[in-house]
Amino acid sequence: MAFVRRFTPLLAKTFLNIPINTQGRRIHRWVSPTLIELKYREKKQGGKVINPRNTFLEWNLEAELYAFGKRLNEEFDSDLLLQAFTDRSYVIKEEMKQKEMEFDLKMKDNRELVKEGEKFMEEYIQLYLEAVLPKFPVEGIVGIKNHLMSESVLANISLHLGTKDIILAAEYPVERQILANTFKALVGALLQSSGDEQSGHFVRDFVITQLQGQDVNDYWHIEDPWTMLTDLMSKTGSELEPRLIGEVGKNTLLACYRVGLYLDKKMLSSGFGETVATAKEMAAREALKKIFATEENMYPINFKLNGIPKSTSDLRYKISAN
Amino acid sequence: MSNKNMFMKSAFVRAPLQNGVGRYVCQLQRIVLKFCKSHGGSRGIRDFIEQDLVDFAKQNASVVVYLKPRRHRGPVLVAEYLNGDRVWMNVQNKTHSEITKWMEVLRTQQGDISGARLRKYQYTDYPSVQGPWTPFTFKDPELNVATLPDPKFGANNRLSISATEKLRLMFEKQAISEKDVKTGE
Repeated sequence: MAFVRRFTPLLAKTFLNIPINTQGRRIHRWVSPTLIELKYREKKQGGKVINPRNTFLEWNLEAELYAFGKRLNEEFDSDLLLQAFTDRSYVIKEEMKQKEMEFDLKMKDNRELVKEGEKFMEEYIQLYLEAVLPKFPVEGIVGIKNHLMSESVLANISLHLGTKDIILAAEYPVERQILANTFKALVGALLQSSGDEQSGHFVRDFVITQLQGQDVNDYWHIEDPWTMLTDLMSKTGSELEPRLIGEVGKNTLLACYRVGLYLDKKMLSSGFGETVATAKEMAAREALKKIFATEENMYPINFKLNGIPKSTSDLRYKISAN
Repeated sequence: MSNKNMFMKSAFVRAPLQNGVGRYVCQLQRIVLKFCKSHGGSRGIRDFIEQDLVDFAKQNASVVVYLKPRRHRGPVLVAEYLNGDRVWMNVQNKTHSEITKWMEVLRTQQGDISGARLRKYQYTDYPSVQGPWTPFTFKDPELNVATLPDPKFGANNRLSISATEKLRLMFEKQAISEKDVKTGE
């Protein structure tokens, strides 16, 4: 026992030098060589091998199409639905195959449905946005509509509805343009099978809801807000006056100015910026937002309007008309 | 966060495609049940298929159910989601009731939840309805009409109260309350 007591400090000293394996936030040393080797093997094989889902043994196109309609809670005509999923590239590929085997089977592609669906979507989105943003000018509405009808937005919607695997195309994975076109074709197919009110609700629930949590002013770039504001105000006959209402850190890198816009000596809006000119421009933008009722704290857009809204574009303010 | 989580896909709390703002779409698009017809490890999944699978498929018409019998291989559930996620789950030796519960989990989740590391527990596309902070944001309106320098605005009130000062204030408070008691008599 005496021996142990005598040598304990010595023992402790030797143990101190042995590194204790503690868990830390580091990437292990095997990770990099493993990933390099995997990459090398993939390259040797000639790129990543992609097996399309519809070449699997467990694949039933009919069941998939049935489930697709049920998923969206819509009654699709089954032939039209299949046609909506058939891309032009697939038809061309099939025709080539059939020529080789010397027989002829007619297949319909979705080009007509795409056109029909696109036309309906353009009209419906325009009417809907006019109804939910009553004070926003026509140019702004068109800007939002173009954003919603853009390829990236429609492709994203289409992908998240599960069209990716069902689409009949020549090549997989399918391109974004084919995804977007398929969505338009689906709207076209629904238009023919369930009528325009039902397809309007479909567009509302899947396309217009993409504006949830977005700032609608982002989709319309106003080049010169000050001129636009003065043009608007000149009609009413009231006097618009910008005033410098605050300045901080003048002649420094962190200068900040604040400009208030006064309409008949009452404050309309204020903006800030690193120079007086930018502050004035920002104030004009704020004022326009207030006039168009699209401020940052606006009431959320109504996504529950039923039926097809009536057109109000004749009564609406147009920038270009001035 | 442990070392293991660094390899996980990172994610935010999000509903895919604003699900539920318009209409609700079940995010499970298809499920494949792979099992053996004779092996004991597949007993639970065979019971599930015999008793509950038809009801499951009827109630969830939006989910495509595939059965794939494989001789002498472990039973597996493979769920595929609308966002492209694929969840592979081994159900070797799992009982009928366990499989029923796991099917419910796979049906109601929106993707590969357990395979993702949440970066934050909240998310917004719209960080502020007030706009960015500026030096004028919380400025006292009284300053607009004040003539500076003014001892009221120039006073250094940023230091915390000292112990002596605190004692003095306490003493004063006590003195006032004593006075109040005397006047009450």
